[in-house]
Amino acid sequence: MRLLRTRQGTLVAVGVPILSVALALVVVGVLLAANGSDPVAAYRSMVSAAFGSTFALSTTIIKTLPRLLPALGIALALRAGLWNVGAEGQIYVGALAAAGVALFGPVVAFPIAAGLALLAAAAAGAAWGAIPGALRARRGISEVITSLMLVYVAIHLTNYLVEGPWLASGSTFPATDPVPIELRLPIIWTGTLLNAGALVVLGVTVVVAFVLGRTVFGLQLRAIGANDRASRVAGLSVGWVTVAAMAASGALAGLAGGIEVLGARGRLIEGFSPGYGFEAIAIALLGRLNPLGIVGAALLFGALDAGGAGLQTTAEGVSSAIVPITEGLAVVFVLIGLGIVEMLNRRREARAMLAGSQSSERAVTHDSVAGPVVEA
Amino acid sequence: MHNDFLTLLLVAGVGLAAPLLYAALGELVSETAGVINIGLEGMMLAGAFCGVWGAFVSGSVAVGFLAAAAGGMVVAAVHGVVCLVFRANQVVSGVVLNVLVLGLTTFGIAVVFGSNLSRSVATLPTLRIPLLADIPIAGPALFEQDIGVYAVFLMVPLLVWVLRSTPLGLALKAVGERPESAASLGVRVTALRWCALLFCGLAAGVGGAQLTLAGLGAFTQNVTAGRGFIALAAVVFGRWRPVGTMVAVLLFATADAFQIRAQALGIHVPYQLLAMLPYLVTVVALAFVRGMRAPAALGVTPERS
Repeated sequence: MRLLRTRQGTLVAVGVPILSVALALVVVGVLLAANGSDPVAAYRSMVSAAFGSTFALSTTIIKTLPRLLPALGIALALRAGLWNVGAEGQIYVGALAAAGVALFGPVVAFPIAAGLALLAAAAAGAAWGAIPGALRARRGISEVITSLMLVYVAIHLTNYLVEGPWLASGSTFPATDPVPIELRLPIIWTGTLLNAGALVVLGVTVVVAFVLGRTVFGLQLRAIGANDRASRVAGLSVGWVTVAAMAASGALAGLAGGIEVLGARGRLIEGFSPGYGFEAIAIALLGRLNPLGIVGAALLFGALDAGGAGLQTTAEGVSSAIVPITEGLAVVFVLIGLGIVEMLNRRREARAMLAGSQSSERAVTHDSVAGPVVEA
Repeated sequence: MHNDFLTLLLVAGVGLAAPLLYAALGELVSETAGVINIGLEGMMLAGAFCGVWGAFVSGSVAVGFLAAAAGGMVVAAVHGVVCLVFRANQVVSGVVLNVLVLGLTTFGIAVVFGSNLSRSVATLPTLRIPLLADIPIAGPALFEQDIGVYAVFLMVPLLVWVLRSTPLGLALKAVGERPESAASLGVRVTALRWCALLFCGLAAGVGGAQLTLAGLGAFTQNVTAGRGFIALAAVVFGRWRPVGTMVAVLLFATADAFQIRAQALGIHVPYQLLAMLPYLVTVVALAFVRGMRAPAALGVTPERS
């Protein structure tokens, strides 16, 4: 992977993303001002719509959930040097599986039924992620193109079911029947719409952080990410870890889709994810592949999404554009910022070498450059 | 009646193929030189928006196309700055540019037109070539189209020639296969990659405009709806060759045209399943067809000496 692992320490690791997000928010402010709104007032109303009340806060959390899990999954795969570009599709197949179990599955008591549906969601996402993983492991095909292609297979499959066989009778828009109340994730914060999905996400996040940081599997991921040839020589089954990493990555995205169906949306709706799976790639990078960082980044964009609804704009569409613009700009700035840091380091290193100084500092090489080879 | 269906199917297929083919040929050139653009969708979307915007402001379709080319090239330039200058990973940059352009065009359409649908603008007129267009069945598909369609299909033999028989084509391939060796022979690797990338932006931008200015005559939010990814798939399915890419695009577009025609005739086809075809066959081809090999240095930015 080598993508974001720098040896410049935490200052760069934390500073560059924060500066980049701040800069992106300034640019968005300029855009809002150009559109005739007072950016300070706009941001103030957004903050109040995101944090100003218990309801606002719960909305922010609800908007964070579908971004957080896929981003964790992308980070998990990226630690192994694998690009899961297909989280968006894994979200949709997860939602499909959850809706299928909820609408047509066995009728059992609450926690078991909802648990089954969520398990099905994770399993479907895992299968969708395992396909590019297996193709990479067995045939050496880049997971980038295959995972990306499977996004649209999943979306069209969802559209087919939701517009056809699964369409709720009498529905004016493409959606299934509501999920029976016994299967819904219950509200856990009275007076708000926050559902038990938040607890599931919290638990899974802790587990992912533990797996990445404290288990053999986490170490194996990093080993093949750092040098898969050396790992193979050392006796690691690179193929198996590749498939497992992509499957785990897909499971997290699929679970996010299932939680949307059983929680916030309460049914499967066509196009319910406006690109959470693609946004999640930006969030994983802004969080520097670190679970805590990713939680922070996901919360930020959940808040921006919730806050956008509080914007008083003349034109519809402006508020929904703020999240993707900020994410896109912030990541572009991060990539440029890391490039600049690298260039400065090289220059300093070259100067040190010219001066012939035996610096006690280890040679600093930020090898974010090549990234994984795309060999489709 | 039977012939009518076929004629109309082919006309629609070729028309639907044109925007895809612009983007796919651009991507083909860029990938040949070793630069992958997951952001192809964003380049098309930028072109689709700028094309309508330019045509709306100026009242001229030609100005629209110029604006579209510029829009696509700006997105490509950002990709170039991030990946070729600052040497970041090409996959991240591409994915994120898609997110960014979707946001910017959604914002733009809201600001310019006050809604998520633009006003209608003038479209490219059909240019019927006499006599040839009278050939039964295939005539109208090939000779009763707009100038944007003719241009993109003429680009195919041109690209075959450039890539196969010119020093430029050989240099592009060398840069995409073995950039270090190419550099040691005096080929300016980064400069060539910039050219290929900007050409891709231009072509994808024009492809986006071909969608909005030759077909729809308007822009809606996310109007490209995954066409950039179909174009990416076509390059893979066409095995990184111009003619193969064209065949792939025609196949995908005709399948699309078929579901539209069938629906118009009241024949029920699950069009969503046909719509997933390009993506599905590409994955299957990658999995089962031997010899699907991308340029060796695709996505890798070599160390600068």
